[in-house]
Amino acid sequence: MKSFEYTITDPVGIHARPAGVLVKEIKKYASTVTVNKGEKSVNALKLMALMGMGIKQGDTIRVDVEGADEENAAAEIEAFFKANL
Amino acid sequence: MALDYRKCAEEIAKLIGGGSNVISAAHCATRLRLVIADNSKIDKKALEDVEGVKGMFESNGQLQLIIGTGTVNKVYDEFLAVTGVSAATKADVKAAAASKMPWWKKILKTPGDIFVPILPAIVASGLMMGIVEAIPKFWPAFGQSDWFSFLDLVANTAFALLPVLVAISAARVFGGNIFLGAVIGLMMVHPALINAWTVGTAEVIPEWHIFFYPIQQVGYQGHVIPVILAVLFMSKLEKLLHKIVPEMIDLFVTPLVTVLVTAFLTFTIIGPVFSFLENYVLIGAKWLAGTPWGAMIMGAIYPWTVFLGLHHMYNVIEAGMIAQTGLNTWMPIASAANFAQFGACLAVAIKVKNAKTKSVALPASLSASLGITEPAIFGVNYRFMKPFLCGMAGGAVGALFGALFKLGAPVYGVTGIPAIPAVNNIPLYLVELLISAGVAFVLTIFIWKEDKPKEEAAPVPEKAPELPTVSVIRCAAGAVMQPVKGNVIAREAIPDDTFASGVLGDGVGIEPEDELVVAPFDGTISSVAESKHAIGIEANGMEMLIHVGVDTVNMQGDGFECLVNEGDEVKLGQPLIRFSREKIKAAGYSDTVAVLLTNSDDLEGVECGAK
Repeated sequence: MKSFEYTITDPVGIHARPAGVLVKEIKKYASTVTVNKGEKSVNALKLMALMGMGIKQGDTIRVDVEGADEENAAAEIEAFFKANL
Repeated sequence: MALDYRKCAEEIAKLIGGGSNVISAAHCATRLRLVIADNSKIDKKALEDVEGVKGMFESNGQLQLIIGTGTVNKVYDEFLAVTGVSAATKADVKAAAASKMPWWKKILKTPGDIFVPILPAIVASGLMMGIVEAIPKFWPAFGQSDWFSFLDLVANTAFALLPVLVAISAARVFGGNIFLGAVIGLMMVHPALINAWTVGTAEVIPEWHIFFYPIQQVGYQGHVIPVILAVLFMSKLEKLLHKIVPEMIDLFVTPLVTVLVTAFLTFTIIGPVFSFLENYVLIGAKWLAGTPWGAMIMGAIYPWTVFLGLHHMYNVIEAGMIAQTGLNTWMPIASAANFAQFGACLAVAIKVKNAKTKSVALPASLSASLGITEPAIFGVNYRFMKPFLCGMAGGAVGALFGALFKLGAPVYGVTGIPAIPAVNNIPLYLVELLISAGVAFVLTIFIWKEDKPKEEAAPVPEKAPELPTVSVIRCAAGAVMQPVKGNVIAREAIPDDTFASGVLGDGVGIEPEDELVVAPFDGTISSVAESKHAIGIEANGMEMLIHVGVDTVNMQGDGFECLVNEGDEVKLGQPLIRFSREKIKAAGYSDTVAVLLTNSDDLEGVECGAK
């Protein structure tokens, strides 16, 4: 399993639109991606659950990537976070 | 009994794992909203049992504690003080500003805020005083006994030194140091001053000549308003000094200057101005009491003079009447006014559902029937205002009756039931009491309604909603009915690339004609956006997002009202979000509602469009 931490810089946080874009990105990979914030964690493919976490600007989240393509996926997803969120 | 804000805040802080576990704290009109670092430190069960917390739930990463309108801001302030957390995001400040009341309402509310914490002392003292002073009227020998003298001392302590209690409570309300507040209160009833209760009979009143006019050395026993004003000034001065005095010398300079300047101002300006006004009130009262109509007006405004602490001066009028004519005709007016407050308070005690209010109102009314009305006025009637006004009406009618039948007594200092043996016509006096209390009681029963704490009401649909009959999305798992009235457009036509592209799932757009979003099927609320403009609902494997407007997240909830909470079970047609099209337009956004099945890729046979 690969993990990375990221602090959200998008002013609206992971809200509908950013969440949708994120889900779309994650669907490209075979790995299971989990987003963790504090005690809570959700499967990043579940859009509503992701939005329900209420991740805001300045929140630090941990992203776990697990599966066959985790090496590549984790790097790509981290780059995606930096570019979009 | 009102809530002890400090205690409530302290308990909350303790049960969430202390201030260090709080990331941020904010409040809205009813809820304390906390973002917690480590949720495992929260004792949820105990939190719900904290006095003042009406409910709690977690939503959008916030721990939300329902405290109630008008209370939550106080608890919040105490919470910040207790935990040392400082939180002032733009939204928080906005919320705080919105909960501010107009200045005149604040002024009317302040005496209540100050009196509520000291009510136990006043109730105990008032009740005891009423009983202890009533006994000698029926059994004169008791009045000479040591028991009487002892019980009288115990009973009247809180009243004799009332300014001290008021000063301490006022210092807390105004944010001053409560010990400095106590010093101001103690100073105003210092034993070296002539007691205000006996000043009417003092032959010579000593004066100070420290200023360009003489200052009478009279205490402020029984006074309320000058004490509150003095402590208000003290608290402001203290805060100002803390700001401008260098920290190194703050500890000894600030208290010294605060006490000295406040004392000077109290005795030179606040006190004399107040005495001056008091004299005019007395002259006016004496003049009014001379005619039946005047008596009626006096019966109505009497409770206000109790409120201001002026009624103790009436002993002077009463003593004067007895000296002149041998009959105190002032007593029936005071009796009518006091007994009417008893009637109004009793009505509250009977009608009120809130157990705490009942437990205050019952003994307060008993004490009022014995002539000690402070607990009833400060603790109950004035707080709710309408019973107070009903009491004024009862007092007016009763006082008019008393004056028409020339009721009076050769004694002074007693009213209500204890005055019965002394009056010149006992049956008529009883009728007067009955009229006063009866009018106030009946009016209060009919006019006064208990305020229901709004947030306790479950989110009831305001009117039976018409069930939507048009489906906008259909799939193997079920149908999505149209959640907002209006023109249904294709997903691709939603004026936002993200929605239009289908990244968030397939669905439709609706150009709303109405301002209410209802549930498109029976389901569970899976998420509510903090800015209240979007909501998620799940049922039968369908995950639905209803997003009101485009870019409306930037409105931060202004113009939106969410009627359900995360985790709620909802029925088809149940109102979910109320929004203002006008505000969305004013903010410069499209009000198109996106209705999307976010997991449409995983569902079979998805078909969009109105049908």
